[in-house]
Amino acid sequence: MEQSVVRIRDVIKKYGAFAAVDGISFDVAPGEVFGFLGPNGSGKTTTIRMLTGSIAPTAGTISVLGNDAVRHPDRIRTRIGYMSQKFSLFEDMTVAENLRFYGGIHNLSKDVFAERREYILNMADLRGRESVLTRDLSTGWRQRLALGVATIHQPELLFLDEPTSGVDPVARRQFWDLLYEMSGAGVTLFVTTHYMEEATNCTRLAFMYRGKVIADGSPRELREAHAAGGPLPSLEDVFVELVG
Amino acid sequence: MNGLDRVLAIVVKEFRHLLRDPRVLATVLLLPVAQMLLFAYAISFDVRNVPTIVIDQDHTPASRAYLQSYSAGGFFQVRGEAAGIGDVDGIFRRGEASVVVVVPAGFERAITSGGKADVDVLVDGSDPNAARMGQAYALALNRLYGQQVAAAWAERQGLDLSAAGGLDPRVRTWFNPDRQSSIFLIPGLVAVILMIVCVQQTAVTVVRERDLHTAEQMVVSPVTHTELIVGKLLPWTILAFFDMGLVVAVGMWVFGLPLRGSVALLLVASLLFVFASLAMGVIVSTIAPSMETANVMALMLAFLPGLLLSGLAFPLESIPVVLQWVASVFPARYMVDISRGVFLKGDGFADEWRQLGSLALYTVIVLFLAVRLYARKVRT
Amino acid sequence: MNVRHVRLLVWKEFVQLRRDPMLLRVVMIMPFIYLIMFGYVVAADVTHLPTAIVDLDHSVTSRQIDSAFSSTAYFDVKARPDTEAALQTLLNRGDVRVAIVIPEGTQAALDTGKVAGIGIVVDGADSQSSSVGTSYAMRIIGDLNEARAADLGAGALPGVDARVRVEYNQTLASVNTMIPGLLASVLMVTLMVVLSQAVVKERESGTLEQMFTTPVSRGEYLVGKLLPYGLLASAQSAITGFVGTWWFGVPFTGSVWIVCLGLLLFMLTTIGLGLLVSLVSRTRHQAQQTIMFVMLPMFILSGFIFPIESMPAPIQPFTKLIPLTHAVAILRASFVKGSGLADLAEPLLYLVGFAIVIFGAAIVAVRRRLSE
Repeated sequence: MEQSVVRIRDVIKKYGAFAAVDGISFDVAPGEVFGFLGPNGSGKTTTIRMLTGSIAPTAGTISVLGNDAVRHPDRIRTRIGYMSQKFSLFEDMTVAENLRFYGGIHNLSKDVFAERREYILNMADLRGRESVLTRDLSTGWRQRLALGVATIHQPELLFLDEPTSGVDPVARRQFWDLLYEMSGAGVTLFVTTHYMEEATNCTRLAFMYRGKVIADGSPRELREAHAAGGPLPSLEDVFVELVG
Repeated sequence: MNGLDRVLAIVVKEFRHLLRDPRVLATVLLLPVAQMLLFAYAISFDVRNVPTIVIDQDHTPASRAYLQSYSAGGFFQVRGEAAGIGDVDGIFRRGEASVVVVVPAGFERAITSGGKADVDVLVDGSDPNAARMGQAYALALNRLYGQQVAAAWAERQGLDLSAAGGLDPRVRTWFNPDRQSSIFLIPGLVAVILMIVCVQQTAVTVVRERDLHTAEQMVVSPVTHTELIVGKLLPWTILAFFDMGLVVAVGMWVFGLPLRGSVALLLVASLLFVFASLAMGVIVSTIAPSMETANVMALMLAFLPGLLLSGLAFPLESIPVVLQWVASVFPARYMVDISRGVFLKGDGFADEWRQLGSLALYTVIVLFLAVRLYARKVRT
Repeated sequence: MNVRHVRLLVWKEFVQLRRDPMLLRVVMIMPFIYLIMFGYVVAADVTHLPTAIVDLDHSVTSRQIDSAFSSTAYFDVKARPDTEAALQTLLNRGDVRVAIVIPEGTQAALDTGKVAGIGIVVDGADSQSSSVGTSYAMRIIGDLNEARAADLGAGALPGVDARVRVEYNQTLASVNTMIPGLLASVLMVTLMVVLSQAVVKERESGTLEQMFTTPVSRGEYLVGKLLPYGLLASAQSAITGFVGTWWFGVPFTGSVWIVCLGLLLFMLTTIGLGLLVSLVSRTRHQAQQTIMFVMLPMFILSGFIFPIESMPAPIQPFTKLIPLTHAVAILRASFVKGSGLADLAEPLLYLVGFAIVIFGAAIVAVRRRLSE
């Protein structure tokens, strides 16, 4: 089997007595669109933060792109991208300034930066709007800009934490088109969401609930596992059954 | 749902916001009291225990007796002896002492032979207050000592003693035996602290609301801008009054602050004052594009002018007229006057009508401005 | 440390600052306003202090004393109560700020060569009566003594001839010590307020989280916050300092290098404190509350306006824990006394210590807090 892009084993994260993540293990294979589902407070965001090396687990091992995320988080950061629910753009800076900042942070050479800048402006449909302040953009554009900024350095692995919350369905569809394009180009995607419809877009899923992974497999596999001889239940039904 | 209901709804919402964050509550309620305690206890312009260093170049019983007299009163605090005059500059530069007394050789001889003994007293002018006092006390002490010497000598010689008599100034600090109370300060403090809290809070609250985009939501619903402002200001008004009550209670209990005048006047004035301060906060918030700026501006407008231009620590009569005009721009000065009048002088409405009138006028203008600016801001 | 990263972070900070012109205006212009206010308010000449005289002696001397006080512009004799008890009401109501009490038997004491105590009553909470008023009153009494001594030929008697000299700031102008202190105070206020928001703002908007998934290190982040505000503060100090000293004619006798060093260290500690508050606060509102809570006592207890020597003994040691105290001390000494490096070693070392401790704490806080 190819080297997993992400390998988590028996990871626990405690805050005092409360276990936000209570012993989870899974793998993400290269090129997958890995969906990480669960309600708010299930431990999704904490897990992502551990994967990006922002926080350290209380116990367990985490390997990202072959590196120990606990001991060498810095080695990971040049190869991953991260896009958060808040779209984390500098509101009081323009589109161009945001791009310039992140391009520089990732140490892109002048040529590479020029190339990527072009690409992102086109992809996000922001040509001609480079001097617009980010806070003056509507949600759909900000979302795409945030994606561009997160991938300006062409990472191999992209984390997306609830990337489509607050976005209308049309924009959401367009966004996923972009994601598919990237996946097609070989980027591994790790997406968290609490929208069940988006789950069907993923190649594999993990359900998280109260700090534990309660199901792990492709959408089809999960639905078949809970069919109980009848018609295939929806993913939502699957989840409700698992939780209830 | 009529206007009053809407205002009430906003009030409830604002309160809920407040109670959610214990740190905010603690600060708003406890801070003024803590500050007042701190100020009243720690602040004084009373100069005492001025560090002094002596240089005795005579080494005689007379010189020693003379230098001893410096330790007698409460003003000078003799920290030690230095070897020679060369040290003096260093002593001052290092801040080791503010006064240096130098007794040159020949001190005893001069006195016992009926002449005048020379003494040098050097005072550090880098603290003008202490220096002025140091000068005065040094001169007084020396005169006193000189008179005692002269009287003893005249008696021994059988001369007319009247020439030896002298006046000795004895300074007594009123209200402040153990620095327990600064009654003069507290009424003013009450006003200033309130102002600081009010202006700060509103400025930031309104900006925060705007930042979180909830202000836009409010505008969509059928709330008029006046109702919105009143609704926002009301919770803070209530809290401010609570604060004031606390501060006054502590002042009266702990510091023995008297309350001699009309409580009604105080309440009316306080109400006006609180509204004026809150309105100022709103105005600041409309001018400030971001929270930091709102913060900084509120501080600059409330904090330092409150301390300086309200008559709290520095009487307004002595400052240049231009600045007195500026001081009129801040409601604190009227409130401080009224506050002092009620607490200390036993004033009523009749005595303070001019101040009250000014305060009322000020409040109306500021509230009007606040509503207009806020309305305009939200519309853009 | 990646210099390119730091350069980018500094650039970003300046871009954002430019987008908030009000803040810049406030930071750069407010100090001038303060300068003017402080300079004039504090340096105001004291005259016409409402005074009461209680003459219990009714003698030639007591009348001399009375007229001495009445004839000077410093004192405005408003009342002449018959008893000392009557003073209570007058002082309480603030009708009178200074009272002179001439006890019974004053003349008699003088005639027999004794010393007669004259009471000068002041309110310790009132800056003017307690220092300026007192010293003028004492001077007047002293002058009376001199005149009397000269009349009665006391020149033939032995005594002590004290030459009291003021070293440094001979004019005893308050401005000369206020302006240096003001430099430090204004610096503190603007820096702490602005910086206490700096990090929280980014945490609230999520850009902080984003940044730490990139190759930016925590050290680079801190330096990237330090530099732009340090530069801004330096500009503010320099301008304020120059204008202040020029406008009010404040003499400068010390070393520019020491002032710069002191200010630099102070800036470091202040920025560090602001950052620390920003790091441990969850919301901007919280940060602002904390800063207010911290700043006001610091301001009051630093000795800038209210002298430390006048504070109760138990409090005095605590004033050393306030960075502003040392900054004010360094600046004042440099301006007025020309103190050198060795002289100011103590406050400078305190500031160095603070800088180290505070930045150490900030680094720890960055590592721990950012991930929550």
